Amino acid sequence: MVPMSVDTRGQLVRASGPGRARLALAQTAGRLAAFASRVSGRGSGASIRGMVMMRLDPGALGKLLGGRRVLAVSGTNGKTTTTHFLAAAIRAGLGPGAGRVVSNADGANLHHGIASALGEQPRADVAVLEVDERVVADVLRLGRPEVLVLLNFSRDQLDRHHEIKALARSWRDALAQMGADGPVVVANAEEPLVVWAARPAREVIWVDTQSTWSQDAALCPECGSLLTRTDPEQAGDSVIPGHWECTGCDLAEPPAQVRVSGDRIIDRQGRELPTDLQVPGKFNIGNAACALAAAEVFGVDSVTALSGMRTVTAPAGRFSVTTIAGTPARLMLSKNPAGWAESLPLATTDPLVLAIDAVAADGKDLSWLWDVEFEQLRGRTVVCTGPRAADLAVRLSYAGVAHEVIHDLSAAFRSVAGKVDGPVDVVSTYTPFQRLLDLGGVPRTTKPTALPDVGAEGGAR
Amino acid sequence: MSVRIVLVYQSLLGIYGDRGNGTVLAERLTRRGIDAEVLVVEPGTELPEDAQVYLLGGGEDGAQTTAVRELTKDGALHRAAERGAVVFGVCAGYQILGNTFTVGDRQQEMPGLGLLDVDTRRGPERAVGEILTTWRGRSGEEQWITGFENHGGFTTPGPGCIPLADVVVGVGNGDGTEGAVQGSVFGTYPHGPVLARNPALADHLLEIALGTPLDPLPMPEVDRLRAERRKALGH
Repeated sequence: MVPMSVDTRGQLVRASGPGRARLALAQTAGRLAAFASRVSGRGSGASIRGMVMMRLDPGALGKLLGGRRVLAVSGTNGKTTTTHFLAAAIRAGLGPGAGRVVSNADGANLHHGIASALGEQPRADVAVLEVDERVVADVLRLGRPEVLVLLNFSRDQLDRHHEIKALARSWRDALAQMGADGPVVVANAEEPLVVWAARPAREVIWVDTQSTWSQDAALCPECGSLLTRTDPEQAGDSVIPGHWECTGCDLAEPPAQVRVSGDRIIDRQGRELPTDLQVPGKFNIGNAACALAAAEVFGVDSVTALSGMRTVTAPAGRFSVTTIAGTPARLMLSKNPAGWAESLPLATTDPLVLAIDAVAADGKDLSWLWDVEFEQLRGRTVVCTGPRAADLAVRLSYAGVAHEVIHDLSAAFRSVAGKVDGPVDVVSTYTPFQRLLDLGGVPRTTKPTALPDVGAEGGAR
Repeated sequence: MSVRIVLVYQSLLGIYGDRGNGTVLAERLTRRGIDAEVLVVEPGTELPEDAQVYLLGGGEDGAQTTAVRELTKDGALHRAAERGAVVFGVCAGYQILGNTFTVGDRQQEMPGLGLLDVDTRRGPERAVGEILTTWRGRSGEEQWITGFENHGGFTTPGPGCIPLADVVVGVGNGDGTEGAVQGSVFGTYPHGPVLARNPALADHLLEIALGTPLDPLPMPEVDRLRAERRKALGH
């Protein structure tokens, strides 16, 4: 690895030599490939750029991570939004030094996507990274992050990730291996698998996110015994938090230092702070609570962090309002049953549009449709669109929900024109979502606006 | 009287949308004017003795072992099979209905429930993808069984049972056959869930459970999905 260091003014100083030259060559080649991908209309080019770079210099990711302060975010759902929250919080903390932050804001979160984002901003010495669940162990090893946020763990794309426990084990092993050199982990206390994975970390800040999805945790990851769970209870004006514990060993929900309370967050100092986020959804308050805890580890005060998070509007196009085939639409992305459980209650228009596909990026197995409570849509009309609209139509007919099938995305939006006051709500799986962003003219990458010059003074430690 | 359909240990055996099989069976009865209820029973709670259908779905290794232990202790599933109630297992649920299956990287052999004369061992590679089979003894449109399979075990049917179907596209049991039937006990690999995609199979289970033939229940959405899936596999 090429040695790098941060000098007193926060400037990156990189060593020269053959390793550096190789990385530079790889970066140039990567940029050309990304340009080719963009002009041919195949995508933002982020992953291609990273792929070419890493083919020419397999050590590129390690070199690019070196010398930066790294904050990483992983989990099944909410990675992209939480990464945007955290980056915004850190920028707010850095003030005039906000340009020192680099982030893979487009959601390209595998080795290639991360390398690509870092390669584009070589002088940004703070990296806020969304990291795919499978890449966490590598980023820990290569990037030695100061903070690792572990959001949640649920079934996702079982055609590829056969057993979610194996992924949790890879996190746990990596954290155990790093010992005292490891990151401070910010972890969701409500998820048994996350708690089990995070326990070996040198320090954990537990967050009570008030999440409600529990379909994926029946057995203790430590000893295999059954877990018991009590749901949160409303007692007058306050809520008695839920709790889970193992019936066979000492694994149990740890007491949280940061917690969600309604639409407020209680920080480590016990301050109850209003969130007032622009991004909707209860689950995003949980995501913000995790980002807030991570920002505080970095040295950003909760109040400042939240002021930054309030500027986040449409992370990588999620929740963006646009016009598709002449019809105003609000776009929501959901990739698995836990995600749909969160987003479906936010889709309140009648009619509404649901877009489904099942290619590799969506997960090829659509059986999860039967784990989503589509019955809640009874009384409204759903326009089923996308290549696998027929699978959704069968699910909806058994749920007793009125629907029609219009495979073509544009035609689906033309069919609902004028039927809704304001934008029609849309929930989509990954692949149709990218096409909807294109049809609506929403850039797939949401770059932070107006960055000051890199290397400015000041900001948080 | 209401027909009772039990989702057995949904939290352990339900990772592939398997609750959908319960939804489909209940809806297909309700729409014919027959009362039906779906009961979700979790480990630690006794299984009802008087249900007509018991459904077991997909799960991971650890869940399989726990389910076998709890169901053996409970005993109601064995008594149900004995009195001719329908027991329908999918994927991991199919495997645990058998005599033996294996878990873990070292392929440790575990006893199953012994309700199907099959044995499951780790296959040469994991079977993941769309599967299309032909149901034995059926012809025309309803012979086609379509679904999605995702399993590492290959299953060998013994003399005490007969395979449910023959594989056209996909892996199934691994020997060209798919699933197993032994009296009123059924095992199969495709999910999707399988009864949503294969209404004739759903009605077959209900007719066994009720002991009477059922009226046809046309659902054009299901026909379209079946045609689409077959076409996608070149049939």
